[in-house]
Amino acid sequence: MKQSKDPFEAALEEQEESPPNSPVGEDELNSQTPNEPQNQTNGGHSLLVDDDDYDEIGPNVKNSSHPSSTSTSKLHSTSINANVATGATTKNKEYDDDEEEENVEVELSKFPSSADPTKMAKMQAILSQFTEDQMSRYESFRRSALQRSNMRRLLVSITGSQKISLPMTIVVCGIAKMFVGELFEKARIVMTERKESGPIRPCHIREAYRRLKLEGKVPKRSVQRLFR
Amino acid sequence: MSHPSTGPSSKAKVESSQPSETSFKRKRGVFQKDLQHMMYGFGDDPSPLPETVTLVEDIVMDYVTDLAHKAQDIGSKRGKLSIEDFLFLIRKDMPKLNRCTELLSMREELKQARKAFEVDEEKLATLE
Repeated sequence: MKQSKDPFEAALEEQEESPPNSPVGEDELNSQTPNEPQNQTNGGHSLLVDDDDYDEIGPNVKNSSHPSSTSTSKLHSTSINANVATGATTKNKEYDDDEEEENVEVELSKFPSSADPTKMAKMQAILSQFTEDQMSRYESFRRSALQRSNMRRLLVSITGSQKISLPMTIVVCGIAKMFVGELFEKARIVMTERKESGPIRPCHIREAYRRLKLEGKVPKRSVQRLFR
Repeated sequence: MSHPSTGPSSKAKVESSQPSETSFKRKRGVFQKDLQHMMYGFGDDPSPLPETVTLVEDIVMDYVTDLAHKAQDIGSKRGKLSIEDFLFLIRKDMPKLNRCTELLSMREELKQARKAFEVDEEKLATLE
């Protein structure tokens, strides 16, 4: 199905400094769109793999045979993996894009790739094939962020010093967002293992958190916090 | 040093002997709205369960608290807390490290772009 220009996709193109996809590339993609349902059922395999793997793929965007390299791939690729798995189920888009007005600056600072035309072309190729549901999910993934003011307040209260620089807040927000992403990916894996569906429940998150702790991705506190 | 009211800052750290001026009690709804959008983006339902949101927020607060404490431990050896301490803490985690360096370099690029933009505007103004 031909994906008409999404407003988000158009905005994405404007922000990226390379010219949009040449018509030749798009025709090639449009001929491959009938295979799209196959992509959605691919479950644990990611559409986007590590950037190094792009060179091996060539014009074929559907890397169904690629193993999902979750440990080295960037977050957005593994998150799209999760999105694809859930995109097949029809969900009502219940909230509107009220993130439009907030933090255009944040949006600009979260490009998927550097100003590399090949990477961006591939990104465009994949984005143009998204369903509406996938697109909205991807949009909220890109635009959502923890509030810097709240984070700054939190950091000030933890460290006790007022000198929390702005890049520090940005970095901690980014780290926290990626941590949430890891948590949710694990939670989805747990859900598929237990063969459950629907909204994620706290028990899945707890199990995911426990597994992350075993992997050592959660910083352990040296002193036990006994009383809250 | 035992600050009875505030939760996180009462964690006994020898360095932060001065009490925090903004007594930041462990409020519940700090990241709720943002977290809901983020949860949808990461694969949850469009309307996630409230208990899930609360749990995730607690986990995130714990994570950031632990991270900040560890960073402070490292930073205290050098004198003051800097961004390098955080980067050191996540050095083992390649995706996060790459993401942070990407964010920082993007910020620099934006700064450069803004500077260039302002200079151009000035030139245009003087030309007219």
